Amino acid sequence: MAKIPPPTRTSIPSKPSNSAGLNPRNWGLLKDISKNRFLYIMLIPVLLYFAVFHYFPMYGASIAFKEFSPRLGIIGSPWAGWEHFESFFNGIYFWRVVKNTLLISFYELLFGFPAPIILALLLNEVRKAAFKRTVQTITYMPHFISLVVVCGIIKEFTMSDGLINDILAFLGWERVSLLLESEYFRTLFVTSGIWQNIGWGTIIYLAALAGIDQEQYEAAKIDGANRWRQMLNVTLPGIMPTIIILFILEIGRLMNVGSEKVILLYNPSIYDTADVISSYVYRVGLQEFNYSFSSAVGLFNSAINFTLVIGSNWLSRRMNKTSLW
Amino acid sequence: MVQRLLVKDSLLRNLKSGLTAILLTSLVLAGCSSGSKDNTPDAKPNEAGKGTSTAIGSSYPLNTTESITSWEILNMNAVTFYSNLAETPFGKALADKTGVQVEYIHPNDQQTAEQFNLMIASDELPDVIEYDWTGRSAGSYPGGPEKAIQDGVILELNELIDQYAPNLKKKLEADPTLDQMVKTDSGKYYVFPMIRNPSGLVFRGPMIRQDWLDELGLPVPTTIEEWEKTLIAFRDEKGAKAPLSVTYTGGNFEIRDAFIGAYRTSNSFYVDDEGKVKYGPIDPQYKDFLALFRKWFAEGLFDKDFALTDTKALDNKILTGQTGATVHLLSGGMGKWMDAMKGQDPKFKLVGAPYPTLLKDEVPFIGQRDFKYNPGPSKAITTAAKNPELIVRWLDYAYSDEGAMLYNFGIEGESYAMENGAPVYTDLIKNNEKYSLQQMVSQYSKPNGPYEADERRNWNTFPEQDEAVKVWAKTDAEKHTLPGFLTPTAEESKELGKILTEVSNYKEEMFVKFIVGKEPMESYDKYVEQIKKLGIERAVEIYQSALDRYNSR
Repeated sequence: MAKIPPPTRTSIPSKPSNSAGLNPRNWGLLKDISKNRFLYIMLIPVLLYFAVFHYFPMYGASIAFKEFSPRLGIIGSPWAGWEHFESFFNGIYFWRVVKNTLLISFYELLFGFPAPIILALLLNEVRKAAFKRTVQTITYMPHFISLVVVCGIIKEFTMSDGLINDILAFLGWERVSLLLESEYFRTLFVTSGIWQNIGWGTIIYLAALAGIDQEQYEAAKIDGANRWRQMLNVTLPGIMPTIIILFILEIGRLMNVGSEKVILLYNPSIYDTADVISSYVYRVGLQEFNYSFSSAVGLFNSAINFTLVIGSNWLSRRMNKTSLW
Repeated sequence: MVQRLLVKDSLLRNLKSGLTAILLTSLVLAGCSSGSKDNTPDAKPNEAGKGTSTAIGSSYPLNTTESITSWEILNMNAVTFYSNLAETPFGKALADKTGVQVEYIHPNDQQTAEQFNLMIASDELPDVIEYDWTGRSAGSYPGGPEKAIQDGVILELNELIDQYAPNLKKKLEADPTLDQMVKTDSGKYYVFPMIRNPSGLVFRGPMIRQDWLDELGLPVPTTIEEWEKTLIAFRDEKGAKAPLSVTYTGGNFEIRDAFIGAYRTSNSFYVDDEGKVKYGPIDPQYKDFLALFRKWFAEGLFDKDFALTDTKALDNKILTGQTGATVHLLSGGMGKWMDAMKGQDPKFKLVGAPYPTLLKDEVPFIGQRDFKYNPGPSKAITTAAKNPELIVRWLDYAYSDEGAMLYNFGIEGESYAMENGAPVYTDLIKNNEKYSLQQMVSQYSKPNGPYEADERRNWNTFPEQDEAVKVWAKTDAEKHTLPGFLTPTAEESKELGKILTEVSNYKEEMFVKFIVGKEPMESYDKYVEQIKKLGIERAVEIYQSALDRYNSR
């Protein structure tokens, strides 16, 4: 990579000081503001939003290091140091919840992430508009069903006399209460997730597909490429940036397995595969009012997420020059 | 560039949402508490009503124009008709009789604990809060009443009760057991208590389909052996898919101590015959109980989906005849189901079965029996109260003879009439076409709150319910139940919290695994070992010393 020459400052007059007492370096910015003032005004609400709702509350993270008591408040509560982190790391469930979180996320990434891409590519090959629309509508419907209802359906279907077991029994298998068997939980979780989100995820890829220049297909056809070749050499590269960006975003959520869904589905007999960091936090921390402990665990979780995003962004920049920043 | 910015923003948002979701509570807490926190410690209450003359008087209605604010749950049945207690016939009558206007603040039924926490954290306290201050369960004030007083949230009531609450004082003096329950180890009173009537102490137990038993020619089972026979008959002859089923919600196995008691142990802490605190789930006998349910589960006598059965699922199983026996509540279970089946299946009949024992005619070791003092619907006065004397007098009205009638039965001539010196509900309440007795009663009286429940009050709709209470009451529960109002010190509470969180998580998980057969029974010793490693012995020690202090109150 070529070295970028240092910016020359010819446009900035190098006056040592001025009457307003402003740093001369700010001149450029000030000029820009006065020129594009409406753009900057439009930026204010966004900045405020992040400051108020995302940055300011972060000082609340300090309760992870405190013996938090609601009455004393965040500032007034006594310090506890690393105590909560230590009790999490030394707890008997530390490795289990970390492992489960990573495994479920990994499976979701492995099977859940490509699913909408595949569906989008398939839909792209469909020439009948009416059929395409119908498939799309049907597949994105589940996205609008409330999670509680979805989990109710899953529970109902997997009971020992539920639909899935009826089918299994018909095929000559034995009836098992699927949600009581730890080995099925991840499969159930991931497949139901795909069912829920595949159609919705497809939308963005279809939009990206629509943006591909049709002339490229024409050119490929002239070069003798069949449909499969066209897909590999034109379509896929065309949506690659979208895929990568969504992939990095997905990595950022790696440790945030949907705790609501886990909590709605799990039960003690399958804790060993179903209990993830966030459900553990919910059970131990919020249900029993151990705010400090749960925010310590949450902070640990976020730290890992943060590292993962930075890492994957770096990797992606190194490998195919597409990145978030 | 703009696009990249947008992506960056949304990335940030995703990153943050992870953090903020976890810190959601602290977020709100932070917003509310930062400013108002520093000025609280000196905002001490008017000591015992100092400065307020006794101009209000001691006879009702009180002579005042002041109004007070009260934070309390509005009864679920009353919600059907009114959104605020002040609008109910009861609320209006209470205001008339006491001369005190009250502004009621009702938390959302589903989020009472969260809203309570937010209220405490934001330090915007009403004058009166009706809530569990004991610290004995998740959701109640952490650290218990001593801590709440020390934190400057609520007032110590000793002097106030002495001076302005003659009716309550009389009751406390007349009943030493009650007195022992409602004060702390150091003798502080902190609430106006809800006092249950003797027949309101037992409200949960095993129940079984009487019509099935009759059909099969079986008696109501009393021993484990008889239960097994009955359940087999239910499975084979009645086609019940889950002959015995109970709810399992929030990591809580609602069978409580039924069946476990047959083995002379409990599902949690209990007091043995020598008065020593013990933790049931590590007793050697507990293994026998696990083995029994493991067997029943394997044979299809016990619900195959038990760990997934919530209240709704259980309703469904009972009403569709998949389940013939359960352990559940008197009115929230038995009454509700019989009511629901009245039209559909006139034969449907549930009866209370005694807590099962191993041998015939044994007295069940433990069962369900609650305490006279019910801390949930008891009211504490906060440090924000400007005129504690007025509040105390207002609260004390409930313990007077006149107040007791209003709180228990409602308005004479409207909701009840006196017949032969005893209150009887009118047809408006009893025989309403559209609404149940519980729903009607909730408008005219207060089903739960700080007063003494009347012995003559009976909300059971079926005679089987009255019978069930009698059957369920015949246990040694009183002797073996750990008193609910032990108060470990702040230091002990903290230690206890840590131990119990880990222990109960582990115990619950293993419990289910043993029953569904995923863990061999041979690993029971290892399981006991692990629980000991998690510090159960220390927890037992803490409870023992708290019990000793309680007994010497």
